[in-house]
Amino acid sequence: MLFNSIDFAIFLPIVFLLYWFVVNKNLRLQNFLLLVVSYVFYGWWDWRFLSLIAFSTLVDYTLGVLLGKEEKEGKRKLYLWTSIIINLGFLGFFKYYNFFVESFVDAFTFFGQEIQVGTLNIILPVGISFYTFQTLSYTIDVYKRNLEPTKKFIAFAAFVSFFPQLVAGPIERATNLLPQILNKRKFNYCQTKDGLRLMLWGLFKKVVIADSLSPIVNDIFANYSTLSSPVLLMGAIFFAFQIYGDFSGYSDIAIGTSKLFGIELMSNFKFPYLSKNIGEFWRRWHISLSTWFRDYLYIPLGGSRGSKLKGIRNVFAIFIVSGFWHGANWTFIVWGLFHALLFLPSFLMGTNRRYVGVNKSGFNIVILAKNTYKTIVTFILVTIGWVFFRAETISDAFNYLKRIVTELSIGEYSHPNGYRLIDYGLLLLFFIVYEYIIRGKERNPIGFKNKYVRLSVYILLVFLMLLFYDDGVDRSFIYFQF
Amino acid sequence: MKKVILKVVLYTIILLVSLEILARIFHLHNERPERYLDEYGVEKWISNQKGYSITGNRRQNVGEYRINNFGFNSVYDDYTVSKDSIEVAIVGDSFIEGFHQNYTNSISRKIEREIPEIKVLEFGYAGYNLSEEFNLIQSYNHLFKDIDKVIVYMRYTDDLTVGEYKVSSRLSLNTPVNRLLKQSKLIVYAKDIGLFDPIKNKIASTINLIKRAKPNDNVEVNKDSIYLANFKKLVKTYNYDKEKNVLLLDYSLCSKEFLEYLKRNDFESIDFSALFQNDSRPKTLIYDQHWNNLGRDIIADEIVRYLRKENLQIKKSL
Repeated sequence: MLFNSIDFAIFLPIVFLLYWFVVNKNLRLQNFLLLVVSYVFYGWWDWRFLSLIAFSTLVDYTLGVLLGKEEKEGKRKLYLWTSIIINLGFLGFFKYYNFFVESFVDAFTFFGQEIQVGTLNIILPVGISFYTFQTLSYTIDVYKRNLEPTKKFIAFAAFVSFFPQLVAGPIERATNLLPQILNKRKFNYCQTKDGLRLMLWGLFKKVVIADSLSPIVNDIFANYSTLSSPVLLMGAIFFAFQIYGDFSGYSDIAIGTSKLFGIELMSNFKFPYLSKNIGEFWRRWHISLSTWFRDYLYIPLGGSRGSKLKGIRNVFAIFIVSGFWHGANWTFIVWGLFHALLFLPSFLMGTNRRYVGVNKSGFNIVILAKNTYKTIVTFILVTIGWVFFRAETISDAFNYLKRIVTELSIGEYSHPNGYRLIDYGLLLLFFIVYEYIIRGKERNPIGFKNKYVRLSVYILLVFLMLLFYDDGVDRSFIYFQF
Repeated sequence: MKKVILKVVLYTIILLVSLEILARIFHLHNERPERYLDEYGVEKWISNQKGYSITGNRRQNVGEYRINNFGFNSVYDDYTVSKDSIEVAIVGDSFIEGFHQNYTNSISRKIEREIPEIKVLEFGYAGYNLSEEFNLIQSYNHLFKDIDKVIVYMRYTDDLTVGEYKVSSRLSLNTPVNRLLKQSKLIVYAKDIGLFDPIKNKIASTINLIKRAKPNDNVEVNKDSIYLANFKKLVKTYNYDKEKNVLLLDYSLCSKEFLEYLKRNDFESIDFSALFQNDSRPKTLIYDQHWNNLGRDIIADEIVRYLRKENLQIKKSL
C-alpha cells in the first residue's frame, strides 16, 4: 500500500479510529491491532512475502529470548550469528543472488573461461533491506546487552512490522521503538497535530517535487547521449531533488503517521543539501541507515581508532557496503566508493566532524558567503555521485558526466509531453528557499508561530499539489526497490 | 481527540474554500458550453456561448471558443451558403471542434488564410462518431447541398463503433447534480487533471469484486471487420456522396482491409499520417490526445494541398 494512494487514505483513518476509540484501553489489543494492520498494509502489495517477515520475527524473537537466558559467550555468539546468517541469507538470496551469479560468470568470461550458471526469476520483497536491518539491530543490541530481550511476542512482532516504516524506513533501533511499543500510548493532541503537518510536508515533497520531476529526469537519463551539457546538468540536479523529495517525503509521512499512533520514530533527513561538507551530508542523509552502519559495522571494525590505514579501510568498508545495500548493481558500489573518496580528505584532516550541531553564531556576511560556497560545492559533488546512482550502468554514468564537460553547446530541450521547464525551475527555487527558512526543524516543518502564516502554508502546499499533480506518473517510491 | 477531529474538519473546509477561490483567480478550470438536441434531432451546443477551454495542470493549454447561432465553434455568426462563392465544410469531432485553441485560429481559419477565396465552415462537436456526422449532413441537407466540398474527419479507432445513428448518452450527463457540481471550479479542475480517477477506479474495482465479475473473456473480437461493416452500412444508409465528400484520415490507424475497401470503391480521402510521422515534434497537447497548434497546422496544410489540387473554383465555373 502506498502512502500516496487512495487505499491508504481509507486505511489510515479507519486504523486511527480503531486504535484510539476501540482498543485504546488495552495495550495488548493496541499492539495486536498494530500487528494486524501492519500485515494488511504489507500484504496489500504481496501477501506471499508476509511469511518472510513472520519467519524473521519468529527467529529473532526466539534468539532474543535465548540470548537473554544464556550466559556463556560461545553460545551467545552462536545465537547472534544464527540471526545474522538467517537475516542476511534472506537478503542475499532475494536481493543479491542474481548479481553474484552474473558477476561470477562475467569474471570467468573476462579470464577466458565460459561457464553456465543460471539466474533465477526472483521478485525482490518490498522493504526486505529495511526490516532485516531492524530485526538485526534488535539481536545485536540484545547480544551487546544494550537491551533487555522482550518475551512479549505480539509486541515484538508489531515492532518488526510497524507499518509506517516497514517498507522504506526509517530503520528503527529496537532501543528506540520497542520500549514505545511495550508501553501504553496515550493520545497526545500536539503529537497528532505535528504528525499531520509532517505528513502534509512529506506528501508535498513526494507529489510535487519527486513525482513532477520524475518524467523529465527519466527522459534526460534515457536520451543523455543526444543532449547537451546544460540539459544534462539540469537532469542531474533534478534527480538530486527527485530522490530527496521521494525518500525524505516517504520518511516524513512515516514519522508523521507514527505520531498519530503515539510513536516517535527517528529523523531520517535533516536538510542534507544544506550541508557544508560530505561528512555533514552523511549526518543529514538517510540518517537511520548511516548510523546503523556506523554503530554495527564501522565502530565494531575499529572506527577511526587505531592506525590511519585501518581508519581508511573502515571508511571505504562502510561506504561501499552502504552503496551495495542500495541495490545489486555495480553503479551503487561505485556511488559508495565515490562518496568514500569524497569523505577521505576531511577524514584524514580530521575535519569531518566540523559541522556537528547547529551553528548559532550571529549574522556575518563573510561567513554566510563562505558557507554558501561550501554548500554549493558539496551539492555539486553529491550531484555527481547521483549520476552513478541513477545511471543504468557505470559506463552510462561516465558517458553522462563526460558529455556534461564536453558538450558545452546551449541546446534546447523539450520534453515529449511539452513540460515547461520554467515551472519546475520556479518550483525548485521555492523549495530551496522554504527548506532554508525551516532548516533545523525537520520534525516541524510547518511549525510557524503565527497561525495565519501556518494556514497560508497549508493552502500553498495543497495548491501546489493540485498544480503539479500528474496522473500519468509512476507513484511508487524509489526506495521501495532497495 | 475531539479537538483534532474538529480542527481537521475546520481546516478541510477552509482549505477547500481557499482552493476554490484560487482556482477561480487563476482560472484553472475548463469551461464547457451547454448542449441540446435540436429540432432535427442533431446534438449541438446551445448557440451564443463563449468561454475558455483549459487543458492540463497549470493552464498548460488555453483556447477561447465561441459557439455561433448554428451551434458550432466558429468565427462566423451564421452559416450562410451562396451558390456563387466556394464553401467547404469540415465535419468532425473534438479534433475539428478545436476548443483547444482560439476559435480565431482554427483549422478552418488556417485554410482560409492560405486560400482566401474559399469559406470554410466548421461542424465539429466533441464525441461525434461517423453516424452522428452523417446524420448532421443529412438533417441539414438544405445547407450542405450548396456546399462545394465536405471534408469528413474520421478517427478510425473511435468513430466506427456503431453502424446506425442513435441519440448519444452525452445529453443525459446534463443532470441538475452535474450542473451543480460544475459550479465548483475546484471540482471541475480536479476532475480534469484526473484527481478523482483513483477513487473512481477503486469504486469500480470494488463493485466488480462484490459482483465477482469475471474479467473479460479472452474472445478475440475482430474490430476491423466490425468497423468495416459499420462503415458500409452508414455509407449506404446516408447515401454517401463520393463526388462531394472526402474523408480526412490518419491511415496509420486504419486497417489494411479498410483502406483497400476505400480504394476499390473510389472513396476520396486525405491522409495526414505520413506528415505526422515525419515530424518529430509533439503534435498533441500535454495530457490530451488532441492536436496542438503544430498538429493543426499540418492538418490545415494537408487540406490546403488537397483543395488546391481539386481546384474548386474551376470546377464550380464549369
